[in-house]
Amino acid sequence: MILSNPLLHTLAQSGFPQPMHSATLAHYLVVSAVMFILGLIGFLTRRNLIIMFLCTELMFQAAGIAFVAFGRFHLDFSGQTFVIFVLTVAAAEAAMALALVVLLFRRKETLDASEWKDLRG
Amino acid sequence: MPSGVGSAGFHLDQIINPSILYLLCVLGAAGVCLALPRKGVSPQVFGGLLAGAIGGLAMLFLGLKNPEHLPNIYFYVFSVVALGAALRVITHPRPVYAALYFVLTVVATSGLFLILSAEFMAFALVIVYAGAILITYLFVIMLATQSPGEEQVEVLADYDAAAREPIGASVVGFLLLAILTTMMFRGPTGWSPPPSVSERDTLAAMPRKIEAALRNAGTLPGGSRIRTHDETGHAMISEDGLTVRVITPDGERSIALPDGLTPTNADYLGFNLMRDHPGSIEIAGIILLMAMLGAVVLSRKQVQIDEEEKMRHAARLARGEEAGGSA
Repeated sequence: MILSNPLLHTLAQSGFPQPMHSATLAHYLVVSAVMFILGLIGFLTRRNLIIMFLCTELMFQAAGIAFVAFGRFHLDFSGQTFVIFVLTVAAAEAAMALALVVLLFRRKETLDASEWKDLRG
Repeated sequence: MPSGVGSAGFHLDQIINPSILYLLCVLGAAGVCLALPRKGVSPQVFGGLLAGAIGGLAMLFLGLKNPEHLPNIYFYVFSVVALGAALRVITHPRPVYAALYFVLTVVATSGLFLILSAEFMAFALVIVYAGAILITYLFVIMLATQSPGEEQVEVLADYDAAAREPIGASVVGFLLLAILTTMMFRGPTGWSPPPSVSERDTLAAMPRKIEAALRNAGTLPGGSRIRTHDETGHAMISEDGLTVRVITPDGERSIALPDGLTPTNADYLGFNLMRDHPGSIEIAGIILLMAMLGAVVLSRKQVQIDEEEKMRHAARLARGEEAGGSA
C-alpha cells in the first residue's frame, strides 16, 4: 500500500488536513526558532554585506515555518496566505538590498560592512 | 475537539525539561561560536559537529515527553538538513557556497511545508526563493567580487575570513533562543480556535470544479448542468455533503458526488487569499512595483565622460549636422 508512506500520504491527500497535537507543533516552532537565531547570529557576526542580507532571508524562512505550522495547528489558511506576503516582502527586500550593495561596492571596491562605520554618526 | 488545541495552555515542562533546554542552549552557543570563521587555527569542524550534536539532542529530548505525538520521520530528515545548511550559511567563509547552502535550506524548508500539507507554499518557495531570489544573490556576488590577478592564487577576502564578535553574538543569540522557547509555551491561555473553513462550503463555491469532476466520472447526463444558488452562485450540496443538485433536460435531480472530490490546498489558499485578503494583494503589488523602481534608480550607472571626450563628441555631432544640412 503506497499510501501508508506518510510523506506520500501528505502529498496525495488533497482534503482537509487533520488537526495536529501541540506537542507536534512545538517541534516545528523549535526548528523555526533555532533557524531564526542562526540567521540573527549570522547577521551580527559576518562582515560581508551580501551574507548579512542572506541571513535576513534565513530569518524570513524561519518566520515562514512558524506561520505555516501555526496555520496547520489552527486549521486556518491565513497562515499560508501570510507566507505569500512574506515572500513578496522578501523579494522586494532582496531587490533593494542588492541594488544598494552594488552601489556601495562601486564606491569603495569592498563588501566589508565595517568600511562604512563612519555612517554610525 | 482534539486535546491541546485552543483551550488548555501548554507549558514548557510538558514539552521539555527546562534545565536541559537551557544547558542545550549554552552548549549550542559554544558550538556556533566555535564554528564561526576566524583567523589562524580554526576549530570550525569541531564547533560545527558540537552544534549539530546539540541540535540532535534537542530533537531527542523534545520527543521524550510526548512519545505518542511525534512528528513523522521526514520531519527529522528535513529539519536536520535545513538547520545544518543554515549553520553552514553563516559559517562558510566563501559567499558563493553560503548562497548555495541557503538553496539547500530552502529546499529542506519546502519539504517541511509538504509535511504540513502546504503544497502550494512548498512549490512557491522553491520557485521564488531558490529560483529567483537566490539567482539574484549569485549575480550580485559575481558582480561585486574582484577577480584574482594572473599570478595570485584565489585568496579569501579579509572580511570573509574572520567573523566579527563571534562570542558576543552567540551569547546574545542563544540567550534570545532560551527566552523565546520559554515564552513560546506561555502564550495567552484559552485561545478559541478560529472558525475553521468547512470543506463542504469551499467545494460548493466551485460549481465548475464539481461539474468537471462529474463529467470525468461519467455520471453527468448530457446537456445538463450544476444548479447554482441565485444570489451566491454556489453549487447546492446536500447537508451530508454526498449529493449535488443538477439540472438535466428532464428536470432537476440530485447526483452523488464522485469519491475523493475535495478542495485542494491551492483551492483553500486561493479562497483565503482572494476572498479574505483582497486589499493586501494590491498593497503587495505596490510594494513590488516600488522595489523594482527603487532598484533601477539605485543601481543606474552614471557614465563618466571626461571633458575632452565630451568636446569631441559635440564636435562630431556638429559636423554631422553640417553634413546633413548641406546634403
